[in-house]
Amino acid sequence: MLRNRLMTVLGLILVASMVLAACGTPAATEAPAAEAPAATEAPAEPTAVPEPTAEPTPVPTTRKGGWLDEIVFSVVDADAAVTQIQAQAIDIYASGLSSADLPAIKDAGLKYSSQNGLYYELTFNPASEFATGALNPFSSAKVREAMNWLIDREYINQEVYAGGGLAKFFTITTQFPDYADQAEVVRGLEAKYAYDTEKAKAAIDAEMLAMGAELVDGKWNYNGAPVTLIFLIRNDSDGTRVPIGDYVANQLESIGFTVDRQYKTSSEASPLWVLGDPADGAWHIYTGAWSATVIDRDQGDNFQFFDTPSSAYGFSPLWQAYTPSEEYAKLADDLAYNRFQNLEERKAAFSRALELSLEESWHVWLIDGKNFAPYSENVEVTYDLAAGIDGAQIAAYTLRFAGQEGGQMKWGQPDLLVDPWNPIAGSNWAFDASAQRGTTGAGVMYDPHTGLVNPLRIERAEVTVTEGLPVGKTLEWVDLAFEAEIAVPAEAYADWDAVNQKWVTVGEKFPEGATAQVKSVVYYPADLYETVKWHDGSNFSFADMMLGMVMTFDPAKPESKLYDESRASNLDSFLSVFKGFKVVSVEPLVIEYYSDGYSLDAELNVSTMWPQYGYGEAPWHTIAIANLAEENGELAYSADKADAAEIEWTSFIGGPSLEILAKYLDQAEAEAYIPYASVLGEYVTAEEAAARYANLKAFYGEHSHFWVSSGPYLLDKVFTTEKSLTLKNFADYADLADRWAVYGEPKIAEVEVDGSANVTIGGEASFDVFVTFGGEAYPQADIKTVKYILYNAKNEIVAVGEAEAVADGQYVVNLTSEMTKAFEAGANKLEIAVVPFPVSIPTFTTFDFVTAP
Amino acid sequence: MNLGSQPGEGSKKKSGSAFGRVARYTAVRIFTLFVTIIIGVYLTIMIANMGGYVDEIMRGEIRERITMQVVANPANKNLAPDARNKLVQEKVALEEERLGLNRPLAVRSLNYLSNALTLNLGRAINMTSDSGSKQVRLIILERLPSTLLLMGTANLFLFFVSIFLALGLSRRYGSFWDKLIITLSPTSAAPPWFYGIFLILIFAAIFKVLPFGGMVSAPPPENPLDYTLSVLEHLILPSSALIISAIFISIYNWRTFFLIYSSEDYVEMAKAKGLPARDIESRYILRPTLPTIITNFALLLIGLWTGAIITETIFQWPGLGRTMYRAIGLYDTPVIVGSTIIYAYLLALTVFLLDFVYALVDPRVKVGEGN
Repeated sequence: MLRNRLMTVLGLILVASMVLAACGTPAATEAPAAEAPAATEAPAEPTAVPEPTAEPTPVPTTRKGGWLDEIVFSVVDADAAVTQIQAQAIDIYASGLSSADLPAIKDAGLKYSSQNGLYYELTFNPASEFATGALNPFSSAKVREAMNWLIDREYINQEVYAGGGLAKFFTITTQFPDYADQAEVVRGLEAKYAYDTEKAKAAIDAEMLAMGAELVDGKWNYNGAPVTLIFLIRNDSDGTRVPIGDYVANQLESIGFTVDRQYKTSSEASPLWVLGDPADGAWHIYTGAWSATVIDRDQGDNFQFFDTPSSAYGFSPLWQAYTPSEEYAKLADDLAYNRFQNLEERKAAFSRALELSLEESWHVWLIDGKNFAPYSENVEVTYDLAAGIDGAQIAAYTLRFAGQEGGQMKWGQPDLLVDPWNPIAGSNWAFDASAQRGTTGAGVMYDPHTGLVNPLRIERAEVTVTEGLPVGKTLEWVDLAFEAEIAVPAEAYADWDAVNQKWVTVGEKFPEGATAQVKSVVYYPADLYETVKWHDGSNFSFADMMLGMVMTFDPAKPESKLYDESRASNLDSFLSVFKGFKVVSVEPLVIEYYSDGYSLDAELNVSTMWPQYGYGEAPWHTIAIANLAEENGELAYSADKADAAEIEWTSFIGGPSLEILAKYLDQAEAEAYIPYASVLGEYVTAEEAAARYANLKAFYGEHSHFWVSSGPYLLDKVFTTEKSLTLKNFADYADLADRWAVYGEPKIAEVEVDGSANVTIGGEASFDVFVTFGGEAYPQADIKTVKYILYNAKNEIVAVGEAEAVADGQYVVNLTSEMTKAFEAGANKLEIAVVPFPVSIPTFTTFDFVTAP
Repeated sequence: MNLGSQPGEGSKKKSGSAFGRVARYTAVRIFTLFVTIIIGVYLTIMIANMGGYVDEIMRGEIRERITMQVVANPANKNLAPDARNKLVQEKVALEEERLGLNRPLAVRSLNYLSNALTLNLGRAINMTSDSGSKQVRLIILERLPSTLLLMGTANLFLFFVSIFLALGLSRRYGSFWDKLIITLSPTSAAPPWFYGIFLILIFAAIFKVLPFGGMVSAPPPENPLDYTLSVLEHLILPSSALIISAIFISIYNWRTFFLIYSSEDYVEMAKAKGLPARDIESRYILRPTLPTIITNFALLLIGLWTGAIITETIFQWPGLGRTMYRAIGLYDTPVIVGSTIIYAYLLALTVFLLDFVYALVDPRVKVGEGN
């Protein structure tokens, strides 16, 4: 009997323990302090080359390629990332974890990178009339504008994102260059639209009454029925849009609306808000989220994209329902296409567009999310401020164990080897690209802190721009000039004749002559063909580049044996801006490139023609055998063509493709095959072709794949079912491992302000500003601007100006008696905005002071 | 099938119509099973497509995805709105054509059905196999060995150990071990992944003696012996999770089942006659329960095919469960149908063969006799 009771009790304890374990609440976590908002700006004029990094590596190395012997990629669940690093099962988890994981990363004592996550907003249905006859408050710009005051963005940041995000008011990203460039404008608007429920309620009350609604027992009614807002709240993705939606719904209910909260996945919501007719009245608000994974130095096109019917989202009935004011629509289009004479004009237009975007509020922006990628204390890596580690070109080039050369690094990420790899139209998954980047060489290296580029394989460049275009330059390696008209030489190549397999010159295509908006001339080093090697041991040659250009054209031509319908539209868009290229000299290599497309930065107007196809880098001979397979109808580069022909999608790394490629490698080797011989035959001999195929055969025999690149690591082994792969150091790489060691920690300025906390109205006042990094004074040459913004007691901007430089890291803000006379007695604020050159992130700091007579 | 006589009655009627009876039964059975398969698979197709609503979802997703691709390409930055919209529209049209959205679901569903019934599994819409092929056959086959390894190890262990222990317990009704199993049987209310998380925490995170997940260490060992040992090492935690979550309830079920037979009069008689316990088990308990055991075993074998979605996910095990889960998320009808049709055929074949197996192992059963 006693035993029976004991067993019963034991059973109950077991069940209770399981229930409790399942219901356990997460441990309380420390809310990290929000990081200062920041970013860089489009350069106004040429400046000295900034020191891009914090600390150079002290000891030179003789090691070539990457710092590590091996990088082993494997799939690790995000939930287990921190635990696995602690248990030393992996060294780095390269994909960003959400803000909610930041406290756990810190508690575990791990290092981490910070990168852009999703950014969140409210999308409104602007339809003026609903088919249901119901009232749509958001047809009114005043109501939409008032939503800015109704929402406490900092509350969302702290409660939902553990303080890891940034309050967001604008379509542009809070830490990107345009934000920094508009520092005084954005800070003024942020102050104007700061959280203020009373102001929101007053504005919405007035507008609702004007629309014929009435407040009955604290609830808005229209035609005798409650005004019910249908709120589509996304419950998938990262899950944070549920608490955001609930918070916003609560706020709306608090001012008299009835809210119908409909929790939906992307698939369920998309047919309603993207494809549905807004006039159907099926919804009022939607919780949107977008992403910006590269440092975009020109976000002027965001106004058009988000707020006007001429957006790329113009296919959506919702975007067609947007009716921006004439002024805003014009500004949005002008900013999208940079229709300005100079950068000052653009800046003024940008400022006005920012104001109008908030007044019209087709969207209300909430949070710029941040993600965090954790790694062991003994790991060092340079990460991109927007793309993080897994999305950064530079990451694999700098990844290492601290103070050590060599070693095996275990790299975890959420998925891997998702789709077939081929350079022309293979996998476009970020999980695959993260591994490919370590293997890939390029003409230029993206600056992880500014979004500009630096020479990697090229030596220097000259950029010529048509006069009147708003283009500037920052770095010394590029020369910028302006000309009234840029004529494209008649002998330059402008198109491809797929029938006769030859280039069409500008003279043939444009008999009347052609001009371009931009010309770039790229100079490669004299030893390019000796120092740069492919992973199979073949030397780089100009034929690799020439085939890259041919492949841009040929598969898109219906007459080609490689014709792929899905490529044709790409070529159309390419040709709409491409004007021609000319090989000035093969040895040393100098190439001119002409285009009508341009960026605001001269550095980003350089076209290198490096054989980096859309989905990977490749030498001409691997493309040649894949071309043979495609010409014979056995493989296809693109999924579209493969599906249409019901053949395999070309994979250089696994599956049935390998056998087929191996077969054509044998054939190519036997025939010393030179693809597009009418063009490439000028640069490749039959002996060189045979040697390349022999190299490839040996490489395939050793590594069992055809992924040949020229980066610091080569793809050693791929395990498709096991979902892992190994990158191995490429000892024949052209550069030393420490080439990019100059990029250390992002050099985000640290700013302190000191001065009197009491200022006499009508008197003079002075404030000292100290700008440092890592305890050292920030060199004046590296600082683009130190602005001050003066707020009065009503949080209105009363003055904006430049601080005066005193010495490296020291500035002063002097308030004249005229300026202090404008204050009333009370608490005021001085805000300092520091914009450095080496990073795109500005730093803001405020100093409070009291004014009295 | 007809339970025609009591055990031991030894009915062995033979007639000239026996062959015709079996043939008729076989034909009817095959026909009804085939119709069942058709209905089941067609329902799967319609459910996977939400009766056509998935087309709307996919159209929306295609437009969003392609628009973002076009916008994200710096080469398109300077395109005029008309040129950009044209580019988007062309790509959308191509993608819709590739996915077959330009044909009505009714037509596509019949294609899916006929292909499935003829085991022409075709090509996936969005998914690729681990090695990069879009053939549904390869998508399934590449994951099959790892699925069978995990599910087979766990389920076969569970099955035989449960029966063995249950038989023992049925002889010791009310003993300490019997009560312990009854007490522990509610632990099976928790799913395998629940135990999986604890096992990972204990053996991978804290003691660091077993891996967190995956099927083999990264990079996989090149030596076949080392590879096998690594796979076995990685198999311990997921199979343990599957076993722990089901072992007690499984023993309890079988023990209860055997208890019913153990208390039959003829068993009591055998005990009274002083027959050895082993003989009683094999002749008087196991034999009449054999059809049930065989049925369970056969269903277990085809159940291996389905994998274990969440457990595979927790342990990053490359199994079919995760493949199916992904296929459902991507609305990849050919993969869903491919997996379903194979399961359906296996199930139908098993059900069909079991009828004959029953007749073989149990003399009371006659194939095709009665209604």
